[in-house]
Amino acid sequence: MNSDSYFQMILKEFKKHKMAVFGVFAIIFFALLAFSAPLITHLTNVSPNDQNVFNRYLPMFSKAAINNNDAEMRLEKYLKANPDVVKDIQTFQAKHPDYIWDEEVEEWPYDFLYFYSSIDEFKTTAKNSPLDGVQELVDLEKSFYRFHILGTDELGRDVLMRLIYGARISLGVGLFVAFISAFIGYLVGIISGYLSGTLIDTLLMRFTDSLLALPQLPLLIVFAAIDITKLPLLEDLVSKDSESFVKMIIVLSLFSWMTVARLIRGSILSVKEQEYITAAKAVGSSHLRTIFQHITPNIMGPLLVAVTLNIGNSILWEAALSFLGLGIQPPTPSWGNMLFNATEIIYESPSLAILPGIFIFITVISFNFFGDGIQQALDPKS
Amino acid sequence: MFQYIIKRLMQSLLTLLLLSFVCYFVLTLMPGDPVDMMAAGNPNITSEDMQRLKSLYGLDQPAYKRYLNWMGTLLSGDLGFSRTYKIPVSDILGPRILNTFYLSVFALVLSLLVAVPLGVYAAVHKGKLTDYLLNLFAFAGISIPSFWLALILILMFAVKAGLLPAGGTYSVGQDLEGFALVWDRIKYLILPVLSLSFMQIGTFERYTRGAMLEILNSDYIRTARSKGLEEKKVLFKHAFRNALIPLITVVAISFSYIFSGAIITETVFAYQGVGKSVYDSIKSNDFNVAMVSFMISMIMVFMMSLLADIFYAVVDPRIKY
Repeated sequence: MNSDSYFQMILKEFKKHKMAVFGVFAIIFFALLAFSAPLITHLTNVSPNDQNVFNRYLPMFSKAAINNNDAEMRLEKYLKANPDVVKDIQTFQAKHPDYIWDEEVEEWPYDFLYFYSSIDEFKTTAKNSPLDGVQELVDLEKSFYRFHILGTDELGRDVLMRLIYGARISLGVGLFVAFISAFIGYLVGIISGYLSGTLIDTLLMRFTDSLLALPQLPLLIVFAAIDITKLPLLEDLVSKDSESFVKMIIVLSLFSWMTVARLIRGSILSVKEQEYITAAKAVGSSHLRTIFQHITPNIMGPLLVAVTLNIGNSILWEAALSFLGLGIQPPTPSWGNMLFNATEIIYESPSLAILPGIFIFITVISFNFFGDGIQQALDPKS
Repeated sequence: MFQYIIKRLMQSLLTLLLLSFVCYFVLTLMPGDPVDMMAAGNPNITSEDMQRLKSLYGLDQPAYKRYLNWMGTLLSGDLGFSRTYKIPVSDILGPRILNTFYLSVFALVLSLLVAVPLGVYAAVHKGKLTDYLLNLFAFAGISIPSFWLALILILMFAVKAGLLPAGGTYSVGQDLEGFALVWDRIKYLILPVLSLSFMQIGTFERYTRGAMLEILNSDYIRTARSKGLEEKKVLFKHAFRNALIPLITVVAISFSYIFSGAIITETVFAYQGVGKSVYDSIKSNDFNVAMVSFMISMIMVFMMSLLADIFYAVVDPRIKY
């Protein structure tokens, strides 16, 4: 006897789809990355918006000094907080006049620290001070350099960090759009399907079909060009920073609910005539109760598939619009707008054009595989 | 049939009218009208001047009145002037329609030529390694961002290999004739067509495979096989021809995707087509060009899907409109 529950059966079927399992892991990985982005910034001290014009277009795996002003500020702050170290340096300078800081040769403040922390005589003097000045100076000197695993972009910002923060935007837009459009599509589909054959059904489906037949991108471009703060209702709700994010979600949701609506309507038509629905109606179940208690649980499967596929699609559209400069506005990083900046310098720095695309590609294909996996697992024929 | 075509045309016209109004209204929500932009560059302008200019150009009127005005001039055959280029809109868009037509038709033909054989092959070899690999390939086609693919193609063929031009429509300043002219145009079309067809190849391949599989499981194929017909004949005479019918619907739907893709492709490759002018005009707030190119793109998509539906009726004698 097979004692597996329904869920276990689905899971077993799902696991057979190797690429879908890969997709799930990739999605979890990106979600974790997006979720922990502020933590990563906190730990590594690298923020996605730190600019440094001297470190533009660095190749992968390069170490670079941070902004001169920042370094100076840090050093001064440290020296102010530790007068003992300053005293150490002064006594050392008095004792050894041959080790004098040469402004012409050395670069302030990077070499200053290197200069003192590498001289053995200074180390011995410093040992007398209550603070372990030398070790602290070495640490401080290290913090003047950043390691850019994936290099830097046209403003000297860390590419890896921007990609990680871009994941927040891409996944955020994708999830929001998929759920909002699933909600709209569910409503339209359920009304249309439950009232099939009536005028309301005909009107709703005509509208859905004509929206489906339109080329999406021209419409999206037109709608994305709107200044949403000109709309009365949204003006107060949306702040300047999140404007493009909210706009993306609204615009994409407007044009991605149609497939869900069609699918839900179709499922309802097939479920509606089943005997258990007739039975439910016969015992006096109200319309709403029939819809929510009896019909909805039976169309969850196709709905889940549609939502998953919609996430992938929305991520693609968001990236396309941001790539065209109409989506997420800089300085907020999104995979699409990183590519927008990269096109101008594709000759000098091809990795800037390759990396964000790989991220988009892997995320979208993972969602597509995931959706395909659920579909196959739910399909009793396969 | 004739009645059906008339009905479809009327429907398209109605949708087009509705859409043009929505689009017009939405475009008025774009930041900045031309008088505002003029004023931004001129500190001497007074608010009275601005008011006068606005009423001169009719910009102080409500959106629906401006729309009716615009529609009136459009119907009298005047497409208006481009704000950016200061020349009539028809002069800008005329040659561009043809360019976009070349790009989308070549992309469609190429993707069908590649995808249909692959789909049939995958269906016949269901469950084998090649089927699995083709499935991966199709998924990659659906999931790859077309603009990124375009960038990668530019990197590979234009930057690294230097074989093909990175962008443009034709070589400027050369008086080419005959075959040289055709070859020149083709050189500029190869990369855009490749990047535009890749996504369609994935979609078409999956649909062809699905349609083939369904038909291979049907009763008449079993009959054909059981009466001893050779496999080749079963596949190509019985199965393949019937699998083509659902594919036509998919092709009809795909026109709107191809057109969406054309906007991106034309922009990346700086190819002078309608798609690029939709994008450029909206970015530079060039109202007349934006409206007309938007309408043209919609008309193109409607016409193509109508053609596909008519073709559908021709191929499948069971369908009567």
